[in-house]
Amino acid sequence: MIDPDTVTLPSVEVFSPDIEKYTFGNKVNTITEAELINFQGWPFSDFLQKRTGLFLRQYGSGMLSSLTMRGTSAGHNAVFWNGLPINSPSLGQSDFSIIPVGGFDQASVHFGSGGALYGTDAIGGAVHLTNKLKFGEGHQVRIGSLFGSFGIWNQQLEYGFSNQQFSARTRVYRNFSENDFPFLNITKFGTPMERQDHAKVIQQGGIEDLAWKINSKNLISSSIWWNGTEREIQPIMGSNTKDFQTDTNLRWVLDYFHFSKNKVWNLKSGLVRDDQVFNTSRNQTIQYFLAADMDWEIGRNWNSKTGIRYTYIVGNLSTFRAQESRIELYQSTNFQPNEKLSFSFNLRQMVFDRKIAPFTPSLGGEWQVWENQSSQILFKSNLARSFKVPTLNDRFWVPGGNQDLKSEKSWSGEMSLVYSFKKDNFDLNQRMTYYRMKVDNWIIWLPKGNIWNPQNIREVQNSGVEYSLELSQKIRNWNLALTTNYAWTQAINQTDISENDRSKGNQLPFTPEQKFQSLFSIGKGVFSTFLNFQRVGERFTGTDGSGRLEPYQLWDLGSNCNWSFKKLSGNIGFQINNLFNTDYQVMPLRAMPGRNYQFNLNIRI
Amino acid sequence: MKNSRFLLPLVWLTIFASSCTTNTTDPVDLPKGEFEDGVLIMNEGAFGVNDGEVFHYDPATGVIKENIFRTKNSRPFGGLIQDMVEAEGRLYLVANTGKVEIVIPKDFSLVGGVSLGLDNSRSLVSVNQRLFISDWGPYDGDFNNPDSYIAVVNDLNGGPIAKKIPVSSRPEGMIVAGNFIYVACSAAKKFDVISIASETLAASVAVEGTPSEFLQIEGRLFLYATDENNVFFHEVNPGNYTVVKTTKIPLTNPTPIIALGEGSEVFVVTSTGWPDYDDAVAKVSVNNGQVTNPSFYVGNGIYGIGFKIEGKEIYVAEHNGFQGNGSVFILSPLGILVKTLTVGKGPSGFIFK
Repeated sequence: MIDPDTVTLPSVEVFSPDIEKYTFGNKVNTITEAELINFQGWPFSDFLQKRTGLFLRQYGSGMLSSLTMRGTSAGHNAVFWNGLPINSPSLGQSDFSIIPVGGFDQASVHFGSGGALYGTDAIGGAVHLTNKLKFGEGHQVRIGSLFGSFGIWNQQLEYGFSNQQFSARTRVYRNFSENDFPFLNITKFGTPMERQDHAKVIQQGGIEDLAWKINSKNLISSSIWWNGTEREIQPIMGSNTKDFQTDTNLRWVLDYFHFSKNKVWNLKSGLVRDDQVFNTSRNQTIQYFLAADMDWEIGRNWNSKTGIRYTYIVGNLSTFRAQESRIELYQSTNFQPNEKLSFSFNLRQMVFDRKIAPFTPSLGGEWQVWENQSSQILFKSNLARSFKVPTLNDRFWVPGGNQDLKSEKSWSGEMSLVYSFKKDNFDLNQRMTYYRMKVDNWIIWLPKGNIWNPQNIREVQNSGVEYSLELSQKIRNWNLALTTNYAWTQAINQTDISENDRSKGNQLPFTPEQKFQSLFSIGKGVFSTFLNFQRVGERFTGTDGSGRLEPYQLWDLGSNCNWSFKKLSGNIGFQINNLFNTDYQVMPLRAMPGRNYQFNLNIRI
Repeated sequence: MKNSRFLLPLVWLTIFASSCTTNTTDPVDLPKGEFEDGVLIMNEGAFGVNDGEVFHYDPATGVIKENIFRTKNSRPFGGLIQDMVEAEGRLYLVANTGKVEIVIPKDFSLVGGVSLGLDNSRSLVSVNQRLFISDWGPYDGDFNNPDSYIAVVNDLNGGPIAKKIPVSSRPEGMIVAGNFIYVACSAAKKFDVISIASETLAASVAVEGTPSEFLQIEGRLFLYATDENNVFFHEVNPGNYTVVKTTKIPLTNPTPIIALGEGSEVFVVTSTGWPDYDDAVAKVSVNNGQVTNPSFYVGNGIYGIGFKIEGKEIYVAEHNGFQGNGSVFILSPLGILVKTLTVGKGPSGFIFK
């Protein structure tokens, strides 16, 4: 497949800190703009569900989608936008269904504990969304449209200008879905085929990216993103609820970089404001950030990064108001004694609400076990501690909030073997990872009388295997590629909450033990075709293994054509999702669309 | 064909002979339905998962049959069950997700339902071949229910709603007495009276406490209500819906969860509230106006209670935090634990058959 982002002008990417720099021993996957281009305007959750080994709990089509990584809960992964943590401090998680593809250029997924690198929440992993601005590209216009079944109509317009000193880009988008797909209502007498009602989604937003290279030693960059989503909340099957939710997110980041001989200084400030209106209930959180760090190349073998981040949080929630300051110090060190051996050592300490969060160290390493002209075997390992401070809701919600809650904390270890082979036009990359994790002080909300109350009650031991395969072969003019991801996840509850509880020894609810995903593509010249498959194993709705949800498997088929005409270029694509019209539920009684079609067109000037 | 002329007389002869030998005064010994005996256990289900279900327990064999609605109808119930009412040869499963499913009690085969037009259904009574369903109505912006109603359905097998009778806020339990349907309206702290003949609201009577349920105790009609420190048994004259007498019994932290025991004995679930939430079952005597035992049983997360007349056993249901399946504890008349059952999510009620 030809990269549609290929540009003819020489360009230089605007500097941004390398997310993977201090992650030796960890698993980090990068999702490029080329992979995202045919999902223009779709919820990012749909992309992750379809194209990765990750599992998201989707409460309907276009509805709340929370990520679960390595068997941890929805709040156990940190999400960053251009280096700012954007998880809601009141909910402690991000809704991936309101993060549209097109709102960022690239995503990186860090698997496993990253508390020392990223701070609170990164127990199961972290997701980084970044904008990749470039210098020296001149004027650029891009128009992206996607039309699909059930009233999907996504549009994005982008204009950018950059020379060698200045770069600016403006993006606006509007995504719409009527979401009136037919489904079998299994909760009604006679199981009638009905059309989904009350599930419309309207999303619009705008992004402005700016970068100014003051001189060779100084750079300022800034991004601002406003994103508004109005949703009719898809009712659970058999229910007549008519809930509405509006989410408005404002994110702004300002970076100043100073480059000296062997140091990069970064001063970062930012703002993340989330407003949510559920029916008439209003919740608002604002996070202000101020951070500074210095990345220092001490010698040929040593790199160090030292930093401090201050966060001030204001919460105006429907039942309470709260303010909180957080300050965290962090230190990252890379040591590479020789070409075959690399280590990362990270430390972080946070203080929040005058309480000391768990101290989080991590140590990771990579060893090139074997190498010849075409092959390489890498051994990677990492040991990390992570934490999650209780959310504002956990502590202050009225009624039920518990101010005595402790931070959730975890220890995790992992080992990976990476095998790479490259010969002529054949590329092969395989990775097998085994991990173990123990999460303690896990917070769950339990009913006490009529009031639900959070408690540090659960201990969970997670373990699993992740396998990934990337294979590409060029035969004459044909390009063949296969990517496969498999995750075997065991998240075993170690505690019973009462004498009569039967949770101990069971898999956590809504956590599939198995997920498999594979994408095969074949292309010639400007044409390419793909077939994507995903299978999600059984899940349970109860902590004691009760309430089984059926496994499901979905196939998607699509074609793409890259084109150019005079000064215009772009791609045109057609896709059939859920090819075999499988009736499935990701979460219980949440209807999902059957076979559906989409057509997308991207134009670059 | 050759032998068929002999076959027909033979069939007639067989039928005649069998009809002569059958003693028509004895009842025909038909096999019993699978769920005609034993205990039906109503499991409300967990919020957001809506996995309400009915389990069947056979005390004779100790066998529990799980998810009998799903098993017999090949689909989930798909709702949060608030009440389970047996009437007119049918079993009505009332869900607060706005529907009623109707099954044949002996085998749980589905015969109909009400699925359109309901909002937050709570309970049901049948009278004159009609169904009357209490419904909180939709929530307003402050999570109140000012537009509560009783939905009328003109068919015992369900179907469309013929009429909605506006009633006071949050109607719960109902009872048919005389020419009226009595409705306990918890938020309004009233009981409403509906004329069966005209299907209109005849009266709305304020009472002390928060009413939740009507009881027939020794032939008399009572409305059960609570406040923080008392339970109230308002005796109502079914002829003219006046409150004849109120028996106020001091009892701390009573809940709406009750079961009628022997005579005028009522089991009341109590909960100490924040922060300990220790639950208990108290035994009160309506005739004496006294608490006879404030902690007949002590538990956690008690969500339902039932009294089995045969054997005088008390069934106490605990929800186990709605994280997984709940438990039912069978107690002897003296409160001694006889047996523990693992049941569905949020067990909340029983029908003893």
